[in-house]
Amino acid sequence: MAQVIAATIVFGLIGLAFSLLLSFLNRKLKVPDDPRVKEILNILPGLNCGACGFSSCKAYAQAIVEDPSKMKGCRPGGDQVNKKVAKAIGKKENLKKQKKMLVVCSCGAEEKDKKTTHNYQGLKNCQSAHITGGAIDCVYGCLGFGDCQEACPVGAITLKNNKVYIDQKKCILCGKCIKACSRNLFKIIPAKELGNYFIACNNKDRLKEVKDVCNRGCITCGICTKVEDSPYELVDNLSRINYKNIKNKKSLEEGKNKCPTNCIDIIN
Amino acid sequence: MENLILIFISTILINNVVLSYFLGICPFLGVSGKMESALGMGMAVTFVMTLATSISWLIYYLILERFGLLFLEYIVFILVIASLVQIVEMFIRKYSTNLYQSLGIYLPLITSNCAILGVALFMVVKDYSFLEAVVFGFSGGLGFSLVLIVMAGIREELEFADIPKVFKGAPLTLITAGILALIFMGFSGLGGG
Repeated sequence: MAQVIAATIVFGLIGLAFSLLLSFLNRKLKVPDDPRVKEILNILPGLNCGACGFSSCKAYAQAIVEDPSKMKGCRPGGDQVNKKVAKAIGKKENLKKQKKMLVVCSCGAEEKDKKTTHNYQGLKNCQSAHITGGAIDCVYGCLGFGDCQEACPVGAITLKNNKVYIDQKKCILCGKCIKACSRNLFKIIPAKELGNYFIACNNKDRLKEVKDVCNRGCITCGICTKVEDSPYELVDNLSRINYKNIKNKKSLEEGKNKCPTNCIDIIN
Repeated sequence: MENLILIFISTILINNVVLSYFLGICPFLGVSGKMESALGMGMAVTFVMTLATSISWLIYYLILERFGLLFLEYIVFILVIASLVQIVEMFIRKYSTNLYQSLGIYLPLITSNCAILGVALFMVVKDYSFLEAVVFGFSGGLGFSLVLIVMAGIREELEFADIPKVFKGAPLTLITAGILALIFMGFSGLGGG
């Protein structure tokens, strides 16, 4: 019994000594948290998407409080959030207005367009399907298991008939789908007032090879490049829109209408 | 004096806490990605280990032994280590925010770093005097830092190497750790063991 009491007293005293030391040092070495960090954190969307280049919204808030020149803008938040954040850290000069960008999926083929000569029975995700050669014959196109859908933090991606649809209003341009896609189908294009045209095909083969695997593939015919003032050009056996070279809507529209496989698409 | 030098060298190279006793593997694998954080972690562990061993020695021989409470050694040592880690954390947070962020969760995890408790307990088992215990704790920390820094150096170089995909990341880190342990086994002939 005496040993138990002795143990309690000795251990209690040692603990007390350390806790007193700790509380004393805590008062001495306290680092005051900047209240602005919390304020900015409340303004930011809190998605932790990483589009700003910092690991989380908190890291971004801390970085810009310490050094306002690091402020690059929060893409999901848009101009309104950025204005508020700039005000909170007392930054005077106006941020450069962000150029509006859109994410598009460059495979426009639906289930009925994609040809399949074999029966894929592996794991139901794009990553595995891509390694084994895929559930479809086209080695460039969308596998349709929805890895991008899972990666999207805001649920902007839906799959219908094995084709990806992106809700541009929900999209925050975080770029997670770009990393998730095994076939690198997601492309970022600048938004244009003339209408957002893009090439809905990623197949870099030529005529027959493309026709064999897909009904909607770009067959490298080059008709779209031959319209007047055409912004289209052929790169790697694939039509491409040179967004810096768009002169008028008519050329874009005409190229789209002339495409024999209908692989030029437009975002509404 | 000769005794102290012998303890110093043997603890760093021959009886290295990480690669011979396999203690403290968690921070060894977790913080060895970058040289900067490895250095910081090594310094923090060395500091905590030296202080923990000396204070543990004082408490063990001056308090616990006097009152016949040697069975309290584990819990008291843990208390000492936990308090010291708190103090180190406060210091680092105050004076180096970068280091604080790069160490992240591993800093409070020093509390449960078995290498530190292990060194404190070895000190009791080996029946060291106070001076020997201080040297033992300090060299134990240095040994930990040495291994951590060597590992960080190797891993930084490996970033640029063309590694087969299956070995990337954790597998290669573990293989590297194993090879390092084998190399350190080579020191065991030094000075007659």
